[in-house]
Amino acid sequence: MSEPLVLGIETSCDETAVGIVKGRKLLANVIASSVEEHARFGGVVPEVASRAHLEAMPSTIQQALEISGIKLKDVDAISVTAGPGLVGALLVGVSAANGLAVALDKPLYGVNHLASHVAVDLLTHDEKMRPTIALLVSGGHSSILQVSDITSDIKSLGQTIDDAAGEAFDKIARLLQLGFPGGPLIDKESKTGKVDAINFPRGLTNPKDLAEHEFDFSFSGLKTAVSRYLQATPEFVRADVAASFQEAIVDVLLQKSVKACQQTGIDSLVIAGGVAANSRLRAVAQERCAKAGIQLRTPPPALCTDNGAMVATLGSLAISAGRPASRLGIEAASAISPSIPIWA
Amino acid sequence: MAGVFALISLVIDTATDRTSVALFHRNELLFEGYHDGATAHAEALPKLVSDALAVEKSINQVVVGMGPGPFTGLRVGIVFAQSFAQARNIAWRGVCSLDGFDIDADEYIVTSDARRKEVYWAKYSKGERRFGPQVSAPDYVAELPEKKFGFGFGPTIYPSMAMLLAKSQSRSVTQPIYLRRPDAVPTSERK
Repeated sequence: MSEPLVLGIETSCDETAVGIVKGRKLLANVIASSVEEHARFGGVVPEVASRAHLEAMPSTIQQALEISGIKLKDVDAISVTAGPGLVGALLVGVSAANGLAVALDKPLYGVNHLASHVAVDLLTHDEKMRPTIALLVSGGHSSILQVSDITSDIKSLGQTIDDAAGEAFDKIARLLQLGFPGGPLIDKESKTGKVDAINFPRGLTNPKDLAEHEFDFSFSGLKTAVSRYLQATPEFVRADVAASFQEAIVDVLLQKSVKACQQTGIDSLVIAGGVAANSRLRAVAQERCAKAGIQLRTPPPALCTDNGAMVATLGSLAISAGRPASRLGIEAASAISPSIPIWA
Repeated sequence: MAGVFALISLVIDTATDRTSVALFHRNELLFEGYHDGATAHAEALPKLVSDALAVEKSINQVVVGMGPGPFTGLRVGIVFAQSFAQARNIAWRGVCSLDGFDIDADEYIVTSDARRKEVYWAKYSKGERRFGPQVSAPDYVAELPEKKFGFGFGPTIYPSMAMLLAKSQSRSVTQPIYLRRPDAVPTSERK
């Protein structure tokens, strides 16, 4: 099948998302977010997210069908995020996908959330797939992946050993009383701040740490440093703190991503995940990749945050690559390595 | 059994540790299958429904137990039923899972495991629900005068698929029955 028509469902965190693609062409990408319900809790509450997924699922599917102008009976396959993520939330998507697949008698592809974040890049251009390094940064993940083949060969080079980058943004936004989710709010606050006003620590970048954690991240020390700075500096300038904190994160993410490209000899970097929407990360990535001769791809923000189109895309690529469908009754896995892009 | 039954009904319940699937032609049972396991709903349900479809492919409506029951498993059944109905472009009907307990008594209370040392329960008179569903400590339910059936008061019982189908004709439930709020506390209410 050269251009399979695939409906993809994503419910790994707080977005109920349904996307439809034909081959590598995007037909619909509908997202119902429960982020406002979580805001009053200061973070994503799994049970609140799971309830919202159930409530939003039928209308989100319906909307995607209307936008794409296709009927469910026309799809070639259903694709769904099977992990990693919040297991109760994942199970809503997996069970919805199973209901569709069994009713339609169509194959089901359980796909890896991290791999699909990288796969979505292929919706944005027509070039042939080639090996790439991927920096995945979101509220739940901070990983560097070596993607030799998106449907079969992904190696994790490193990941966070404590908080995800997005979590660090949320926590510092709370300390700065900016609100939730923290990423966009810190990004905005930073526009008027100095990136070098405060020299916050870059985690796991000294030679001793690098020996053991070359491509891993740590943001808990940075968080503590910001918190201490705020306590010690009653007259702090909020925009400067936001900009300097953001710079510390951006700097570490890119130092390690560029190094991963250089060390593996891969001259392509894809940055994806919710934090990839950060304007400073995008700007500094462009500078450093240009300097290092690396082709940089940053999918548009709507395809960087959690979405269904990326899930449909990976399903579509799996079919085109002749990968077998997942078995009936696939399990959702809260923690699974990106080295398994498609569920058996 | 009274009521006008759709020709072929697929009945699903995941409100207890048991994942149950049945297929009826009007009120005649064509297929029944179940799988026990508190965390097995998502894996078991697609297989059971596939087995049911091997008996009869053409389905006219889906009936699903809307709880009360442990949330994660409960949602598996509901979202599967809704999506199945959406894909086939057929109707789905929700029913209170406790209404499916087939008890031979006049005045009685049925219970199921609500975890956290509590039970879900409802009070029935001649097969009709008069009070509930509620979630309470078993000690509270034990004080009530009616005879009790189910978790904590005798052998564990499961909803009868035929009863769920029958009840779906008269008392349709459109929202999942949770009975408990999520545990999280809003930041504004934290001490």
